[in-house]
This record gives sequence, structure tokens and C-alpha cells, in this order.
Amino acid sequence: MSALRNRTAEPVPGFAEALERLRGEAAGSSGRALEQRNAAFERFQALGVPTPRVENWKYTNAASFANRPFALAPRGTVDPDLVIPHFAGGHKARRLILVNGRTVPQFSHLGGLPAGMTVRPLAQVLAETPELVDRTSVNDEPEHSFEALNRALVEDGAWISLEDGVALDEPLQVISILTEAESAFMAHPRHVIRLGRNAKLRLILTTVALGQAESLLNQVETVEIADGADLTIDRTLEQGQGRSAITRSRFVLGSRSRLQQTTASIGGSLIRHEMEARLRGTHSEAILNGLMMPQGTEHVDTLIRMHHEMPDCQSDQFYKTVADDRGRAVFAGKIFVHKDAQRTNSYQKNDSLLLSDDAEIDAKPELEIYADDVKCSHGATCGDLDPASLFYLRSRGMDEALARSMLTFAFTGEVLERIADESVDHIVRRMILSRLPGGERLAELG
Amino acid sequence: MATALETVREYTGGEYKYGFVTDIEADIAPKGLSEDVIRLISAKKQDPDWLTEMRLAAYKRWQTMTEPTWQKVDYEPIDYQAISYYAAPKIKERPKSLDEIDPEIRRTYEKLGIPIKEQEILAGVAVDYVFDSVSVATTFRKKLHELGIIFCSISEAIQDHPELVRKYLGSVVPAGDNFFAALNAAVFTDGSFVYIPKGVRCPMELSTYFRINEKGTGQFERTLIIADEGSYVSYLEGCTAPQRDENQLHAAVVELIALDDAEIKYSTVQNWYPGDSEGKGGIYNFVTKRGACRGKNSKISWTQVETGSAITWKYPSCILQGDNSVGEFYSVAVTNNRQQADTGTKMIHIGKNTRSRIVAKGISAGTSDSTYRGLVKVLKSAEGARNYTQCDSMLIGDKCGAHTVPYIEVRNRSAKCEHEATTSKISDDQLFYCRQRGISEEDAVALIVNGFCREVMDELPMEFAVEARKLLAISLEHSVG
Repeated sequence: MSALRNRTAEPVPGFAEALERLRGEAAGSSGRALEQRNAAFERFQALGVPTPRVENWKYTNAASFANRPFALAPRGTVDPDLVIPHFAGGHKARRLILVNGRTVPQFSHLGGLPAGMTVRPLAQVLAETPELVDRTSVNDEPEHSFEALNRALVEDGAWISLEDGVALDEPLQVISILTEAESAFMAHPRHVIRLGRNAKLRLILTTVALGQAESLLNQVETVEIADGADLTIDRTLEQGQGRSAITRSRFVLGSRSRLQQTTASIGGSLIRHEMEARLRGTHSEAILNGLMMPQGTEHVDTLIRMHHEMPDCQSDQFYKTVADDRGRAVFAGKIFVHKDAQRTNSYQKNDSLLLSDDAEIDAKPELEIYADDVKCSHGATCGDLDPASLFYLRSRGMDEALARSMLTFAFTGEVLERIADESVDHIVRRMILSRLPGGERLAELG
Repeated sequence: MATALETVREYTGGEYKYGFVTDIEADIAPKGLSEDVIRLISAKKQDPDWLTEMRLAAYKRWQTMTEPTWQKVDYEPIDYQAISYYAAPKIKERPKSLDEIDPEIRRTYEKLGIPIKEQEILAGVAVDYVFDSVSVATTFRKKLHELGIIFCSISEAIQDHPELVRKYLGSVVPAGDNFFAALNAAVFTDGSFVYIPKGVRCPMELSTYFRINEKGTGQFERTLIIADEGSYVSYLEGCTAPQRDENQLHAAVVELIALDDAEIKYSTVQNWYPGDSEGKGGIYNFVTKRGACRGKNSKISWTQVETGSAITWKYPSCILQGDNSVGEFYSVAVTNNRQQADTGTKMIHIGKNTRSRIVAKGISAGTSDSTYRGLVKVLKSAEGARNYTQCDSMLIGDKCGAHTVPYIEVRNRSAKCEHEATTSKISDDQLFYCRQRGISEEDAVALIVNGFCREVMDELPMEFAVEARKLLAISLEHSVG
């Protein structure tokens, strides 16, 4: 067993202390909830913190950012003026706001939801009707360290449920804010999202960090999309210096359902987004788009597991990467076509721009296929900006820095186009331009 | 497609055409591995002291290592103590001409369709036959000798050219590289050695036929090819093995070294016994092959056609150290019945303007699994590096698997890497088109598969291409619909 031990690191005691604290607080949690926490924590300890010898963590050293003495997040508040710039989805959008992993009802705006749609703090649901969570979540024993840890230390999150046929016309935005703090802290929010048959929802998931702090955000989302339902997600993952965020999203799709997600991972010492999509009904479709843009010493990591479990489904992964300075971007996407998933159509593309010799790009586009009547392909490219295009702009009198910024911005355009919500699109464009030299001039050019 | 599936099942019963056992007396070491056995091998091979020490050091290292499990293959655990690590055909003196060779052995080759005489004449191929672990004949040596080319078994090279062997052996694949390489370094008994002197273009294709023959013996070949400045060599390796019930382990190591402006072309056609339709008894092919482009403008090109073996675990790689050096990897891997192949390449770009090209074609039929696993790594120093990778998989039947696991790591911004992979089945439209023109289903499939692999087949030397096409047809015969 020594080989196995090499592959995981012993978790720091901070996690156990956090669990102790939650046990002490036990207010409102039933005995069973505590049992579940304990079991999940045991699982986490058994799994350990993965080292780079674990294949899925080959390019991201989890122990270096996660295995630190974090305390549970303080109950913080935020200045609303700092949050408003992150509002998206128009003035009619509904909003649920979490600060340091806990919902803050007074900031949220959830009025006028259609009948059959519920948006509640997960803590409330867990306290009152825990069986609801058991029944609907994509539940099994977590095989993933951080998911097990999340289950052990979860305090709150979003509970979003749409009954059959219910549709919300306006977007729903969930903003997860981490505050500044003196000492290092962690938050483990969990979102449970459930769309009934033919339900329809546009979701905007915004993750931001305000001010300075060392923090770990370990978020887990379980998303069920029933037959014929349609879910669109626009997601921004933004963290600051010294902050790390792991987001793990698990999707299960029913027949003729559809998922479209576009993620912008921009800024943060470490951002890792893991997605697992299981196409469990025929004729379903999953589209996962994304943009990663590490600069400075940032590290951005995306891991996708696309499981085609039933015939006649389609999937598409489209990720673009721009790595500058000493930034590092990792893309590990996998298409898994199970035995019965005949007539699968699956596509994956990862294009990368490497703008500095100190930056690094690691790509691992995988296919694992057990059905013969399929069309699966993937492509990955990596290189610098095209010298001919650069020359063209230079010959028209544009200075090199601006020309490079313009081409880089154009490179990201293909992903930006796929963002469903216009206001998110604006926010992401603003984020990108603020990171490019001469970005304000580009913004003026429109 | 019911008929197609039936055809698949009906065809997958294809028997191995080259299965037979030759009865010749063999000199076998006792089963198991220990320092004593290694000393025995060393003594039998009349190793110099430095080599004995190298073997023992490798053995020590091997004992601390664990068998790799990351590859996507399943097999019964190997009992390394149940293998005999040395088997040599009993020949009192080395034969001076082909006529002196044991007629049993010669008949074996004839059954394989490669009569030595014909082989000699055919396009001037010099053959270093390896029968079990000791080479029994080397042809055309004299002609090569005139050019200063050394082409002999590695045991001879150890005796006759120790300075060259000592300098390069283990310099590309060190003993501690991996589990099987360490095992090989400890127990290797024979293999080929090639040295091409400065500025010499080897006038003929050098070739070795590997055979595994003695029951229960593992084969641990060691091949070392050195192309000195400005030289060129094309080396062919081909394998077929007799039918067996026991799994046989083959853990070879191949090292290539290309100095300034040198080029090595290494082609393999591998058709070892894949086991019966239940997957019983096939060869385990765990091979470490690596080439180092040490000099500027050097080039190493790997071409492989893998049709045999129960399990293939092999990643012929190129370390592109010299500026402007080029690495190529062309591969066709065909798996049928219960065969499992996990194969691919590594291209490590170190020097400036290094280029690499990977074309891998996988064809899976029956209940087999085939995986492409490859790494393209561009280090910071590799200014202007360029890589193109293409992996295509074809599935025949609904019970097999095809997988692609590429790794791309880039640390230089002037580098350009492209990777493409596709997986699909034989197109119904193409089949229909052929059938409509009166081509039988089997011929149509052969035609389409040959077209699918053509890019790789074209890279093979002519003599080999013929055999490779034949092998491809035999392996897929009875598997397509």
C-alpha cells in the first residue's frame, strides 16, 4: 500500500478542527446530518489530499494550496456598493447572494418567482427537510477528496428547484462573495439545482473575492436536468491574489434535455473548475464553453468528464486559453462514450495562446470510447499570436503592445460570443480588457 | 447491420497462421531471478566486469520498483520467479555460413515465408536472426564491414567493441528508467548492435527477425543503434512467434543515438502470438524504445505496425536535443479478439527549431481495446519548436474500445503544437459504395482499412510494406463487416 500512500498527503488538522466547530454549533442539524458529516469526513481522510502523482491532479498541486491551516469562514458582511458592479441579468433578474459561503437574504432579491419554483438557502432545506436533498442530489459516496470535504464542512448554499414545466423568463443570478479577512479561511458552499421535466432556467453564477485575504473556496454543485429541460449557465470565476477556488459541478441530463454553459475563469492564484456531465437520456445535448486567462503567477485548471451513457446524444467542449507572464493553464477534457451510447456525436476543442516564455500550457484532451457507431473528435492547438496578423496591424501604425492586445482580445471573442446573457458578456469583456496592456484604448475602439 | 455483426462474429474466429513450435535442444537457466542467476547469465555471456556490475545494479534497482499500473491494460499478475531468464539454442560453434544452421530453425523461417536465401537476395537485406536469445546467423556482414559498419549481435559487440557499447549502453534508457527497462538491463541476453561511422550511408536495410521459441522463456532483447555524424541507416525489426498456451513476457529495450546530421529510420512489424480468441496464451510485449537526437540536424523516425501480442505496452520516443532535429512516429495498431494495446510516443523538444510529427492509427475489432497515449513536451529552451499530431481510431464492431490519451505541455511561446484526433467506424456510405460496385464486403473493408492506414504504410521500406499489408489483412480477416 506504500504506492497508494505516496499519492495522497495527510490532511492538515485544520479540517478536523473545523468539523469539531460545526459539531459544536450543531444547532438545527439533526443527528443524521451529523452522521453524514462524520462519514464524509472519514471518506475525505481515507482519500487524502491528492498529490501530483494522482493522474487528475498531475498539473495542479492540491496540497500546496489546500493543505494549509484554514479556519471556517467568518460571518462577514459586504458593502453593497462593491457588489452592485457584479450584478448581471438586467433589472428584472432574481438574485441570491452568498457571503463567505452563507446566503444573505437581505441582499437577495427573489420576489415574484413563478409557482413551482423554489430558491432557498440550502441550510434551511437541510434543517427542515433533509430528505429532499438526499432524494434529488446526484448522490453517491464521493470518490473525490474535496467533494467529500465539502460534504463534511458544508454550511449553506443555494437550493434551486423547478417543478415540471416551470420556466423563469428572467435570469437567476447567484453571487458568491468572499470577503477580506485577517487570517486564512475556507468556505464550502454547496448548490443543489433541480430542473423538472421541460423546465427552463437561465442561471448566472458569479464568484468574486473582495479585498485581501488568503482563502479557499471549495464549492460543489449537483445539477439535475430532467427530460426535456433546458438549462443555460453563464459563469464567471474570479478570485484575487492568495485565493484559491475549486468548483466541482456535476450534471445529470435526461432525455431531450439541454445544457449550455460558458465559463470565464479569469484571475485568482488558483482556479480549478471540474465538470462531470452524464448524458443519461437519449437525444440530450451538453455544451461546455470556457475561457481561461492566467497572468502573473496565476494557475487556472479545467477538468471535464463528459459521459455519454445513452445513444443519440451530442456534446461539445470548446475552451480557449491565454497564458501570459508566469501563468499556467491546464485543460484536461475527456469524452467517455459508454457501451450503449451509439450514434454519439461528440466534439472537443482547446485552443491556446502562449504569450510568454515563462508561461506554461498543459493540455490533455482524452477520448475513451466503447461504442462503434460514433463520431468523436478533438483538437488542441498551442502557439503564439500569428506574426502575419501582427504585421498587418503594425503596418497600419498600431504599436506592438496594442496590436498584441487587440489580437489576444479577438482570440477570446469566439468564446465570448457564446455567453448567453448580454450583461455577463459586458462584464467578462471588461475583465479581459482590464488585463490587457492598452485595454482602455481597445475599449474605446469598441 | 445485423448481417454486419454476424460477419464480425463469424470472422473473429481467425486463427493465428504462424503458430507452431520448433523442436531444438535448448540450454535453459533455472527458473527465477536472483543475483546468482544474473551472475550465471553474465558468465554464460562472458561479460566484462563492468557489465556484470551494471546488471547487478539494475537488478537491485528493479527490486525496489513496482510494476506500472497506469496503462489501460488488464492481465494476470506476472510471476517473475516462474520465468527462465536464459535460453540459448545449443550450438557448439558459431556457423560460418547459412548452410551450417540447424535445419529445424531454417524450416521454421521457411514456414514463416522468409527463407534466408531469398531474404538475402531480396533487395540485399542483411538479416541478424534472433532465435530465442542468441543470434544464430548474421549475413552480409562482410559487405557492411568494408564500409566500417558494425552490425552484429550485442554480445559480440560487447566482446569486440566494448568501448562503444560501454559509452552508449543505457545512455538513452537508463536502468532505472522503468520497471521493465530495469529488468531488461539486469537479464538481457542478446539483441542487435549497429554502428554507422561518420558520413556513411548504409547501403541496405538492416533487419532482425525476432522469434520467441523456448517454452516458458521470457525474451529480453537489447538493441543499440548509433549513427555517427552525417550517417544514415534504416533498420527493420519484425516478429512472429509460435502458438503457445502460456503467457510469455517480452521486455525489450531499444536505444537509438543520432549524432550531428545523422538519420535513423526504425521500422517494426510486430506479429507475435496474440492469444486465442479467449485471449489465452498471448505474448506480453512490454518494450521501452527511445531515440536520442543528440546532434544538430539529426533525425529519428519510428514506424510501427502492431498487429500481434496479447498486450502491447510500448512508447517509442524521441528526445530532440540537437538544434533542428526531427522526430517522427508513424503507427498502425490493430487489435482483435481480446488483444489490448496501449501504445504511443513521447516527443521531448529541447533544442531550437526541433520538429516532430505523430501519425497514429488505431483499429480495434472483436472485444479488444486500443489506446493511444502520447506526450508532446516543449521545454523552455525549444525556441521555434513545431509539433503536429494526428490520432485516428477506427472501431469495428460494438464490443471493442478505442481511447486517446494525449498530453501536451508547452513552455515556449514560439512553439506551435497541433493535435487532432478522431474516432469513428467504417463509414456505411463508403462500404455501400464499394459493395455497389461489386466488391465483396471483406475486400471493401480491407480496401477502406488500407486507405485509413496508408499514411503510415507509405513510411515503411518497400520490403516491409508488402509484409505489413499482408499482416494487416490477416489480422483483420474474419473481423470486419
